[in-house]
Amino acid sequence: MAAVSDPVEDLTQPARLVAGYPQTFVRTPAQPLVRRPLTLSELTGPVEPQRRLRLLGGDLAGSGERRAIGQAIRLRVRILDEGGVPVAGALVEMWQANAAGRYIHPNDDDHAPVDPNFYGAARLVADENGFIEIRTVKPGAYPVPSSDGWWRPPHVHFSIFGRVWLSRLVTQMYFPGEPLNPQDRILNAVADAQARERLIARFVPPTGDPYNELVYEHRIVVRGRDATPPQP
Amino acid sequence: MIRTPEQTLGPFFPPRFADPGANDLTVLDGRCARGEPIEIHGVVTEEGGAALENLIVEIWQTDAAGIYRHPLDPRHREADPDFLGWGRAATDREGRYSFRTIRPGAPAGRAPHVNVMLMYSGLMRILKTALFFEDAAENGTDPVLLAVPAERRALLIARREAPGRYRFDIRLRGEGETPFFAD
Repeated sequence: MAAVSDPVEDLTQPARLVAGYPQTFVRTPAQPLVRRPLTLSELTGPVEPQRRLRLLGGDLAGSGERRAIGQAIRLRVRILDEGGVPVAGALVEMWQANAAGRYIHPNDDDHAPVDPNFYGAARLVADENGFIEIRTVKPGAYPVPSSDGWWRPPHVHFSIFGRVWLSRLVTQMYFPGEPLNPQDRILNAVADAQARERLIARFVPPTGDPYNELVYEHRIVVRGRDATPPQP
Repeated sequence: MIRTPEQTLGPFFPPRFADPGANDLTVLDGRCARGEPIEIHGVVTEEGGAALENLIVEIWQTDAAGIYRHPLDPRHREADPDFLGWGRAATDREGRYSFRTIRPGAPAGRAPHVNVMLMYSGLMRILKTALFFEDAAENGTDPVLLAVPAERRALLIARREAPGRYRFDIRLRGEGETPFFAD
């Protein structure tokens, strides 16, 4: 699906207007975005936002009788900045659909069953090397309501607090080799192929440990502290 | 390294992620911040005026003395220990959000302001804006406000409805569109 892209935009970031995604056309500003000098306001940011947001841990899959249905997976995610420096202590929020493609959310309709053992949200803090580890089940694909054959491929949402206000990131992570990836309008809104690859996790061939969990590795690169905005 | 591309928040941001109290910046771990408590509230709409529900608004601001609680602020050691400077609200069914906070002081070279970020389904990237106070003397010299075309600056000014109560409506697109920043 072709994305409508703005020629002055950085093609490693998604187009703001996406063909076949009607909400982008009523919510994306029509006026040019204003370029501003950067001051302390933009180059500082919240320290320890978890003092306002309760940590929820990183185990979504549960165990025993409370084990969620689906393929158990372990996500090993590392948060780095553009200079390759780990973002120690970054607060990370993650949410996803259950194995049948259903979210626990009032906006989700009843196309797929709820799993009573799967809520689907994690909130945790990266360690000193920028790593977080999440145990979950592989999310299912799901059709976008009232649409024309657009299905979202299996994906996981991330919200990350980098070091400063400008490094705040909301993104999604996809799984390698999924047949729905090449036609997803949100993934493919990123025109640059190398940047798009950044959104796809790496499958780690099983070694027997951990038992009964497939492992994916993923790297998330947030804007650095001194990053200046791209000039036209 | 290439930055990870942004992607939309989507329609299923967990309601529990807008934690109770995350929109009240005046209290931290049971202790009250210094300064004048104020309320900032408004409605967020899309083109055509429809209100947007469960849109996420995050704010970042200085304390009452104009200090950011962050190591890059040269005065951060004097920052109010009971003020984090950050909060999150989700809009309700009528598109309304509200924050209880402290009226920010003026950071060096700036007018008092609150930095605002919006995340939502249909927004492929975070939208960033800022709100200023209509009764602040420094507005005329703020470099960020001056970067906004003159005819659109008033759209970034929160209106004082009552003592300690400010209204800041946000229109994502169309008539009266809120100015957003490119960075």
